[in-house]
Amino acid sequence: MSYCVNCGVELDASAKSCPLCRTPVLNPNEFGRLAEAQMPFPAQKAQVEPVKRKDLGILLSMITLATAAMCGILNALVFQENAWSLTVLGACVVLWVLLEPIILFTRQSVYLSLLYDGLAVVFLLYMITFLSSEDGWFLGLGVPLTVLLTVVAEIFTLCVRKLPRSFLTVLLYFFTAAGLLCMGIELLVNRYRDYGISLTWSAVVLTVCSVFDIALITMLSRRRLRDSVRRRLHF
Amino acid sequence: MDKNITSKGRRDWYQLDLSAIVYPTLQRRDFSSVYRLSVVLKEEIQPQVLQQALDLTLPRFPTYKAAIRKGLFWRYLEPNDRPGPFVQEDVKNPCQPMSFKANNRYLIRVYYFRNRIALEAHHSLGDGTGGMCVLLTLTATYLRLLGHEGIENGGFVLDIQGQPDEEELEDAYMRYANAKVCPPRLEEKTYRVRGTAEPFFTLNIIDGIMSVSQVMTVAKRYHATVTEYLNAVLLYALLQKQREDGVRRLRPVKIAMPVNLRRFFPSITLRNFITMIYPGVDPRLGEYTFEEIVLQVHNYMRYHLNEKLLRGDITTNAATQRNPFIRVVPLFLKDFVVRMFYTKVQDRNSSAGLTNMGTLQVPEGMKPFIERFDIYMGQPFSRRTNCAIISFQDTLTVNFASSIVESDVERYFFCRLVQDGIHVKIESNR
Repeated sequence: MSYCVNCGVELDASAKSCPLCRTPVLNPNEFGRLAEAQMPFPAQKAQVEPVKRKDLGILLSMITLATAAMCGILNALVFQENAWSLTVLGACVVLWVLLEPIILFTRQSVYLSLLYDGLAVVFLLYMITFLSSEDGWFLGLGVPLTVLLTVVAEIFTLCVRKLPRSFLTVLLYFFTAAGLLCMGIELLVNRYRDYGISLTWSAVVLTVCSVFDIALITMLSRRRLRDSVRRRLHF
Repeated sequence: MDKNITSKGRRDWYQLDLSAIVYPTLQRRDFSSVYRLSVVLKEEIQPQVLQQALDLTLPRFPTYKAAIRKGLFWRYLEPNDRPGPFVQEDVKNPCQPMSFKANNRYLIRVYYFRNRIALEAHHSLGDGTGGMCVLLTLTATYLRLLGHEGIENGGFVLDIQGQPDEEELEDAYMRYANAKVCPPRLEEKTYRVRGTAEPFFTLNIIDGIMSVSQVMTVAKRYHATVTEYLNAVLLYALLQKQREDGVRRLRPVKIAMPVNLRRFFPSITLRNFITMIYPGVDPRLGEYTFEEIVLQVHNYMRYHLNEKLLRGDITTNAATQRNPFIRVVPLFLKDFVVRMFYTKVQDRNSSAGLTNMGTLQVPEGMKPFIERFDIYMGQPFSRRTNCAIISFQDTLTVNFASSIVESDVERYFFCRLVQDGIHVKIESNR
């Protein structure tokens, strides 16, 4: 029987140090007995039991694969006017890529998931080009817009995950991203239509977002104001 | 006839009770509202017999042999006829997160280790009293299967041959939430223990074992009950910790303490029937001596623990659920709002949790086989420590569970007991 010299509590026979203050147990009379003493708790640690979603993943994969394949056969044998089944194939790829990080690869990096989502959308747009008479829009507008959207989504996610996160800061990131996204969309559309580099509607959106951003930055920088807003807006 | 009773006479689904609605919304990858009750017997556990006892016992508790499912507006429980749950060898890190879809959708786990049987249950099934009924009925069945005669039913031990009483399965809150007014909730930011988070998933346990009579003698010296005295000791430990942290702005120190409403409102429900009270002291008003803390807690308990105020409290809680505009909100929106409210307000309302199950009464025939009981409130939602107390005969056990490296609060707590002349034996998995 040992007592902690620091806390005064009796310690379990197997204790090598006091669990409360970490003072080592040095009892010359019980050196041999310490090794023999049984721990009051098991030594084995357990892992959290994983949720088995593999079956759902297989079901989803088979449904998307079957839809794409059956539409391909239908297109080849019955409705042969144009290659419409390629669009269905593209939509199936987008659906699968959107859902796979939720169901199958749950440990996949969110940045990688967003990148795959962007690539899947590009693939879908490419498939749509087979239905349209001209495909200049694909490289001129479709791909740049998808790249812009993916980059903005990646940066927004990075900010939310790595920078200080609160209700107000997430709103700040959101308005900044929304403003920049609208500006980028208008610039890319104007470039595609050869209107030159000019802003019209997105300038209004950017102005509104900037006003919100300035208000949010002011709230975040003034402690009393920030606390007051949080108090009033708390859920 | 109740519309959710099948032709076999078994209910095919159960609404979640008022408290149980909240717990699933707090579910995270690294957190579940899981509590643990364990009984230490005087002989080694035989796992095969324990499994047999579990298979015989669990059908008597339909709300524990259940799975949780999502509806459009609310979650609900439905009977679970899948194989299991299976008894398993105990682990060093109990109260692990409990996914609703793992473990064949069961929301309970039964462990054994040397002389100990432990039951872990998700709080959405029921509170500590309900869980204790399951554990003690299981233990009685286990002992009977081992051939021990003379273990009668009664108290926490239910007849496993009998049919569950409708009242055992009811949401008792709704029966008593009938005050004419809804008193407002008092919300205040309190001191939060700062600590270093343990790696996923570790639960640090420190058990203090002491004599009930010694603690009662000391509590009487301060003109308080055992619960009031131990509450005051925990407040004292938290005040010490706040002072040691050297925080710039002192905050009130409060304890979230569940009250068993069955003491005030007659009910035999095995589901949740608790409400929270928050005894505390505010160090911004000045230095408190230990005697003043005890007095403060004593007066707080005297004022708040009465049928009228508790009825008002549960009426306020029930008002939200009864509101037709809230009822039609889809579940994912309710989840978002409840989680936000709990994280931003409710969780900050207290510095630590403390529950006292009191002195456990078991049938006379079982007493010779039982050494002691343990109870753990489970992993805290935020970085802090939870304390649970239970007594059996002359053994009082104080069980701390935390997911932070530091054990300062526990040290101040037990050192204060030692200073007051109580002999404390410590066991830990650290």
